[in-house]
Amino acid sequence: MTLKQASMLCLLSSTAIAGGCASLGVKPWQRDVLAREDMQLGANPLDAAIDDHMYFSKEASSGGRSFAGGGCGCN
Amino acid sequence: MQLKPRGRLPAAASARRQLMAASCALLGASAVRGQEARMAPADSGFLEDWSVDSALAYYHENGRIQAVEPVVNVSKLFADGQALDLNATFDSLSGSSPNGALTSRMAQTFASPSGKTSHGYTTAPGQLPVDPHYQDDRIAMGANWTVPLTRVDQLSVGGKLSDEHDFFSATVNASIAHDFNEKNTTLSFGINDEYDALQPIGGAPVPGSDYALFEKTGHKSKNGAGVLLGLTQVMTRNWLSEFNVSVDRFKGYLNDPYKITSIIDSAGNTTGYEFESRPDQRTRKSAYWENRVAWNQQLSTGLSLRYMRDDWGVRSDTAQLHLHWSLFNRDRYVEPTVRWYRQTAANFYTPFILNTNAATTAYQSSDSRLGAFHALTYGLKYAQKVHGSGSRGESEFSVRVEYYQQTFNERLATPAALQGLDLYPGLKAVLVQVGWRF
Repeated sequence: MTLKQASMLCLLSSTAIAGGCASLGVKPWQRDVLAREDMQLGANPLDAAIDDHMYFSKEASSGGRSFAGGGCGCN
Repeated sequence: MQLKPRGRLPAAASARRQLMAASCALLGASAVRGQEARMAPADSGFLEDWSVDSALAYYHENGRIQAVEPVVNVSKLFADGQALDLNATFDSLSGSSPNGALTSRMAQTFASPSGKTSHGYTTAPGQLPVDPHYQDDRIAMGANWTVPLTRVDQLSVGGKLSDEHDFFSATVNASIAHDFNEKNTTLSFGINDEYDALQPIGGAPVPGSDYALFEKTGHKSKNGAGVLLGLTQVMTRNWLSEFNVSVDRFKGYLNDPYKITSIIDSAGNTTGYEFESRPDQRTRKSAYWENRVAWNQQLSTGLSLRYMRDDWGVRSDTAQLHLHWSLFNRDRYVEPTVRWYRQTAANFYTPFILNTNAATTAYQSSDSRLGAFHALTYGLKYAQKVHGSGSRGESEFSVRVEYYQQTFNERLATPAALQGLDLYPGLKAVLVQVGWRF
């Protein structure tokens, strides 16, 4: 997939999400499942940080979920 | 430091935690990330009601590097919605690090980066050249502060310092998030700035210079800046989605000062070495999509996809899937994970330089991290909650194991003298981690 294709997919997805905002989502009293620990996007920040450090030092790509920080001289 | 109010009953703590998690969920999609910190009561003292997340990781490569990494993160979610997060990391690495030279049928002798002959080393025929004296310690500290600006806007600022004996890094970042659509949608925008100072042992090599001449200069630096645009959307009662696009750009000395490239003749005999030479700037762009879906009371999945490219010619695709399986009334859980990754090589990647090439004027690096390979990670995590008594509330112990393997995809035509040698040994690594949070 080229970046142009990825950008197009991003644009279409964003448009679909933005356009469908009225029909997407839940009411405040329907957030019981979303409140579960396993449904949090950053549920295990240390696991993610340790993995990111490993991949950062062994691969040419990093970041995406958050900033592609350096912070070590391993690459 | 008292981290918990005294006399809290376990059941009450558990119920309170669930209420706080539900309260956080009501704050909107932006509050979903990192809401593990439990909200402190309004009368909480500054040193009270902090959440602590800690881990000790051990990383081991086959015949190369091993690392021990303790990490601790303390955070507090204040009653007015502000959140403070402080973290510290210590790394201790040792072992053998590949220096970039090619495996040869002849013994190869290398000087240490400092040039001291007493720290030189010799690689036996048929073995991958590695510096056996690799040793490094790193300490890093970071802080992040989030403050609500309005009922639907929040600002977050943070920074991180990281120090090694030959490397120093300082990073600052800021982001703003806006909730709308009944807080089912969050748009966020963040910026990041990084300054790195390199003080390589023996000095920074002149890129592309002859290894034998030991042309080294003083300290070097590089700067990076990035932006990230994010959209988080509650899709349904059981489905949360996040989409990010980011761009970053680094300028300065982007070489690995300890990597060299072998120069070989047409028969495959090593005739010399050059220090690697990379471009002095790099721009990366990425798109990232993550989905969390709850299938039932016990089972949920997280699927993330990432596409990344840079102006060095590297393209990469990453897919990661984890399954979260809750057991025993959510007191325990098991998380199997699989990750698939592949990347193309940088335009200037080459495992060796043929001495017929005019390589001294071109960018070149034999760093395997810039080569074309694919990698697989298999992981398994087990966690168990412990309901404390007296002054101790609920805590969670976990054990995590990962196996990581890199396999090279593209292989150049091999000269006769190198036939039969493993020129692309790949990488196998194991990570073992224990965690405790309370």
